[in-house]
Amino acid sequence: MAVAKTKLEKFLEDTVVFLGPDREILKDHGLAPRDDREERVMRDHKDPHEIGLVRSKLDVIAEEAFDQLEQTGAAPGAKWGDLVAGVFTASGDLAAASTGGVLLFSVVCQPMLRYILKYWKDEPTVGIRPGDIFTSTDPRYGNIHTPDQNTILPVFDDEGRLALWVIVIVHEGENGSVEPGGMPSAAESPYMEGIRMPPVKIGENYQHKRDIVTWLQNSVRDPMLQIQDMKIRLSACLKMKERIEQVAQEYGWDAIVSTLRWTLEDTEAEVRRRLRAWPEGTVRSIAWTDSTLRENALIKIALEARKKDDELILDFRGTSPQFINRSINTQLHALKGMLAQVFLTFVWPDLPRNQAVFAPMRLMSDWGSALDSTPEAPNAQSMMTFFPGFTALQMCVAKFLYPTPKRYTKLLAPWYNMITTFIYGGLNQYGEIVGNLCADLNGMSGGAREDEDGEHSIAPIFAAMTDLGENEIIEEETPIVKIVPHRLMQDNQGFGKFRGGSGYQVIGTVRRSDMFGFMTTCTGSKFPTVYGLFGGYGAPSYPLCKVKGVNAFEKLKDLPESKWTIPGIMNEQPFADARYSTHHMGMQFEIVKQGELYMICQGAGGGYGDPLERDPDAVMSDLRDQLISHLTAKEVYLVAYDERTLSVDVEATERRREAERQARKRRGRPFDEFVKQWVTEEPPAGLPYYGPWGDRETIYLGGPANKMARGTCPGIMMTDPREVRIAELEQKLRELGVELAR
Amino acid sequence: MRRLSVDIGGTFTDCFLEWDGRHIEAKSLTTHHNLSVGFLDAVSRAAGEAGVPAEELLAGVDSVRYGTTLGTNALIERKGPRIGVLVTMGFESGLRLSRGRGYGEGLPRHLQVDLPRATRPRPLVPQSLVVGIQERMDYLGEVLLPLDIEDVRVKIRRLVDNGAEAFVVALVNSVVNPAHEERVEEVIRDEYPSSLFGSFPVILSHRISRRKSEYARTMAAVVCGFLHEHMFYSLGTLEDGLRDRGYDRPVLLIHNTGGMASLESTHALQTIHSGPVAGLAASQHLAREYDIPLIVATDMGGTSFDIGIIERDGTWIYDFHPVVDRWLVSTPMVYLQTLGAGGGSIARYDRLWRTVEVGPDSAGSDPGPACYGRGGSQPTVSDADLVLGYLDPEYYADGTISLDASLAELAIEEHVAEPLGISVLEAAKLIKRKVDANMADAIYKEVATRGFDPKSLKLLSYGGGGPVHCCGFARALEVKSVLIPPFASVFSAFGAGNLGQLHIHERSAYLVVYNPLTREMTLDTSRVNAMIEELEALGLADLTRQGFAAKDVRNQIEFDMRYGNQLVQLSVLSPVQRLKDVDDVLAMIEVFSHTYAKRFGAGAAAPEAGIKIIAVRVLSWVPAEKIPLAGQNGAAESRPAARYRRACHFWTEKDPVDTAIHRWTDLQAGAVIDGPAIVEAPHTTFVVEPGWEFRLGSAGEVWMTDGKGRGR
Repeated sequence: MAVAKTKLEKFLEDTVVFLGPDREILKDHGLAPRDDREERVMRDHKDPHEIGLVRSKLDVIAEEAFDQLEQTGAAPGAKWGDLVAGVFTASGDLAAASTGGVLLFSVVCQPMLRYILKYWKDEPTVGIRPGDIFTSTDPRYGNIHTPDQNTILPVFDDEGRLALWVIVIVHEGENGSVEPGGMPSAAESPYMEGIRMPPVKIGENYQHKRDIVTWLQNSVRDPMLQIQDMKIRLSACLKMKERIEQVAQEYGWDAIVSTLRWTLEDTEAEVRRRLRAWPEGTVRSIAWTDSTLRENALIKIALEARKKDDELILDFRGTSPQFINRSINTQLHALKGMLAQVFLTFVWPDLPRNQAVFAPMRLMSDWGSALDSTPEAPNAQSMMTFFPGFTALQMCVAKFLYPTPKRYTKLLAPWYNMITTFIYGGLNQYGEIVGNLCADLNGMSGGAREDEDGEHSIAPIFAAMTDLGENEIIEEETPIVKIVPHRLMQDNQGFGKFRGGSGYQVIGTVRRSDMFGFMTTCTGSKFPTVYGLFGGYGAPSYPLCKVKGVNAFEKLKDLPESKWTIPGIMNEQPFADARYSTHHMGMQFEIVKQGELYMICQGAGGGYGDPLERDPDAVMSDLRDQLISHLTAKEVYLVAYDERTLSVDVEATERRREAERQARKRRGRPFDEFVKQWVTEEPPAGLPYYGPWGDRETIYLGGPANKMARGTCPGIMMTDPREVRIAELEQKLRELGVELAR
Repeated sequence: MRRLSVDIGGTFTDCFLEWDGRHIEAKSLTTHHNLSVGFLDAVSRAAGEAGVPAEELLAGVDSVRYGTTLGTNALIERKGPRIGVLVTMGFESGLRLSRGRGYGEGLPRHLQVDLPRATRPRPLVPQSLVVGIQERMDYLGEVLLPLDIEDVRVKIRRLVDNGAEAFVVALVNSVVNPAHEERVEEVIRDEYPSSLFGSFPVILSHRISRRKSEYARTMAAVVCGFLHEHMFYSLGTLEDGLRDRGYDRPVLLIHNTGGMASLESTHALQTIHSGPVAGLAASQHLAREYDIPLIVATDMGGTSFDIGIIERDGTWIYDFHPVVDRWLVSTPMVYLQTLGAGGGSIARYDRLWRTVEVGPDSAGSDPGPACYGRGGSQPTVSDADLVLGYLDPEYYADGTISLDASLAELAIEEHVAEPLGISVLEAAKLIKRKVDANMADAIYKEVATRGFDPKSLKLLSYGGGGPVHCCGFARALEVKSVLIPPFASVFSAFGAGNLGQLHIHERSAYLVVYNPLTREMTLDTSRVNAMIEELEALGLADLTRQGFAAKDVRNQIEFDMRYGNQLVQLSVLSPVQRLKDVDDVLAMIEVFSHTYAKRFGAGAAAPEAGIKIIAVRVLSWVPAEKIPLAGQNGAAESRPAARYRRACHFWTEKDPVDTAIHRWTDLQAGAVIDGPAIVEAPHTTFVVEPGWEFRLGSAGEVWMTDGKGRGR
């Protein structure tokens, strides 16, 4: 019997159709246990001062690689820091990363390395040898999404043992997906999202294999970008390897291996120590995403954070099910990477950037939900769900931090969280095929701080010191012309005692090309994605606006200054015979006719505290800077002032504010009464609602008529919006036919 | 040769006089209320040293050249006029948004990554003084929207009503077609003629920089506008003072380009950081005098550590988008990296790693290190140096500052030793080792990222803290030789004495050299040559205006090139003065390829993605005579006796080392001292670590050599 079982096991082992994504690897984000070598070298090399010197050198090496990539990368993302360089332990844990760039990229490399170690290390046809070059772009194996490409290099010590890995990752953009630019919202399956490479060897002897390079170039719209950035990534990895070997000459390989491991363990211990200082308890927050990028849909992202001792449990159970034919789903490890960014950038920016920071956090989620999707669900636009997940955590963390005496940076309201930009593609003015995205996504506005206002359009939630770029350069390289590239929008901020930062409006079009187009990918056009904190207001919602049927270049000279804004154009419609329309921000790729206007607005940061507590002088300052309107000054901040001189009537202001406080009390209701008045058993009919409504065990799939028990829904299939539209029109035709027949 | 060079610093005005083969140094306190007072005082001191009256000296020198930190200080202190800025309609928020990243420019890395604390600096121009005007050019300079003159008039009046005292005009794509900027200037002159209110300075962005990048160019123009009046008034007064004393030749202002020019041929931005750049010019002179192929110049002061790279046979390394104070600007500036590591850098216990960390926070000069006794309680690098026995408490800074070792020990004990559970001495050793390692890492990164082999370089170390730590960071870098230059206390002034007139003119271009899609060489060489001629003419005009003969003008042609659409644009020295044919283009590609491979590795080159020229630049200069130095090691070797001995501590040695203490004033050229030893000079202290050798050269330079080095 035993023999038969072994044979069966062997048969099953040998007869695998596909070594697909490994759920066990993807679920585990903890540090790998010490291996024998680590155990030994950590005993021999434990002088913290020497380890500190080695660590400094490794940090410098990662920084140097980052600088080189930023300078030499051809992808627009590379130029403004949408990349990272890191050093990983032999077991695959990130131990040192460049301080610049997108850290979550490297955090999500852990599963790829574990996959390589588990499946390819002993596989005779693959193996891991000096000189090998690997890559992996398929998010089902440990990437964020397919436009992010990486180069993975194993580094061996003098005795031929795998000592560590060096990895660089760049958001390359174009990847041959169904829409140009690499982040298709039109993708209805993973197989429409461009090249999907599981962990794969693409080179040997420190050289790319030309046949594989050709295959990759053959799969994308921009073969020049593909080869150029493959080369620069490899070059940066080789430089890191060479530098590390120099450190090894000085300190020895064992010292390096020991340093990597001590770095991780010391970091985890520090995080646990800091968590212990937080109050015990449970806090909750909810974030929303209001679109699948193809249709309106109110999707619930629910987080319950429980802090106990030195552990933080992040419970996302009850989040909406995944959308099987929409690209907004998130792989669990991508969510983890984004959540790690909350801690590393917004809570403990002083900590080293490595895997251990997130190790003490435990995640709970529903397999098959929008934040823990299965391999069948596309995810090129996973940001649409994991960015709100980030915001939900920001809100929860703020509640823990408020009573915590020792903080490591400022407490703040949520940062804006959507990638408001034009993704573009087509033929540029030189006849080259290009596809990528504008750096405007880096203009996310900062949330208000506990003691000061948030900053206007400053940095994305996922990286510091990024760049909005220079329009003169953009215009030189692409046919994009931004008529209004950077103009802050009035009243576009989360109001509060301290207000969030404002976002700028962009009015863009195309010139000198008839084969060039845009797409946009944001949610929050109908229901905001960013909320206020402790009484502050959230960001507004932002539609996409278009003016078609006009060549604006012929009309600009007649456009008065007051109309060089989105509200000016959309409300006053200054171009006769043009078509004005608003849309949600999930615009699939479309060709832009020269001179037609596409208008988007950078989002605002959330406000902090009650607007009635805002210093009236700060309100006047915002008025002077045209950041707010008189309506806001009077009706939101309740300031009494002279409109001509902007001098504040302090006493009248206080009287107005006090009156409002009293009115609030009068409007207030006991909780039970409030619940009775407000809470309904089910979501309203007609609202395309996805997720739990009351308790999280019942999940609604589009409205009250369609619900299932949590964990039983394999995913939601949405109807093609064009089919919906055709059906609507056919119905109208039928109705018209009936009417005519009368 | 008779030449006078002056560096007007924040505290001291340094003077270097070359007078018939004599090298004379003099110092005076900077007089901020009237720079000419301190300037002339320093000149008088030098004249006294030379034994001639100041007037005779001024009448006798062939040139007076000077650098100043006036602009830097004015920026930091925000002393400037209210500037009205006219931008293209739709671009009004560009300045305040500062490309997003403006919050972190000029800050250390740990502050850059702390987004919750990220706050942009107070702007030089309030938003109420920024207006958009109706006009638009496209990237080729074609008019998309004609300039609306009436709109311009309305906006100019609005700016003046809001208090504008100067104008900056910065319109999109004006570097390709400056017509609109020039027309706006005419309208301003028409609206506000000088006869009406006096002259409103008007700065057009394309005259400050011809490089595409509207934010950085606008910011460069704003900085110029901000500094213009104050600087030119102060410097004009200074020059008047010189003329009153009998000087009748051109007064030359040091530029951060590594050149110099007369005041009327200078815009204010070119004077920022001119002092440190003059220090690099001195380093370059030494590299040539002492035949050193690659020098990394390091200047370790009280709060900062500057690093510059000098190639004996190369050209300057430029930063075309440097950060000035907190502002990213577009201007060619000699590359200089500044880090927060100096004698005042604060050491602290690092709980996370159970070790010591040093900097980037600094105690500065006020309160300064704990041992200064001015209220500082944090341990600093200087405190550790004192505890280790390197500094003499009674002879620090020429005896002007008395050091209190007990305060240093107390600070180290409380903040480092006690938390680590080690002795004060051990803690001080850790601080020394750590700060040396930090500086070594920084040098390594700078050198390596520029494509040089760190082990092939020689270090040049100056600044008050340099000779104390140079053996330490050289050891950490595995560099075997350090040169401490002569005239170290007036080093920038010495550098100024070796500069020549230099003007840089450049303009953006978008020239496809090789098109990979068609596999054709597509460079229009006649267009390139026309651009070169235009830029040469500008340089020639600059130099002839200052009295130079056209025949003496030299031009160097450079192209900024890149592969495909990458960010980096490497400066490539053109192998020819004019491109004649495809062979010249191929030769240029070869130089580019070589330059690129040297910096990023040959494998990173991607000509198959296309090759482009992004900017064309001409450096125009007139060769200048250099100050001669005495030959290296010309003096006979001697082994001076120590004044006395005291116990010093080195991290490489477990026990205290009985160390010979010398005084600089006792030493003659040719003196050789084996480490461990200390040489106390009026303005610094030389720490000759065990295994190192100190050798005093004929010109007053010191060579520190790791003769019996023990690796790291």
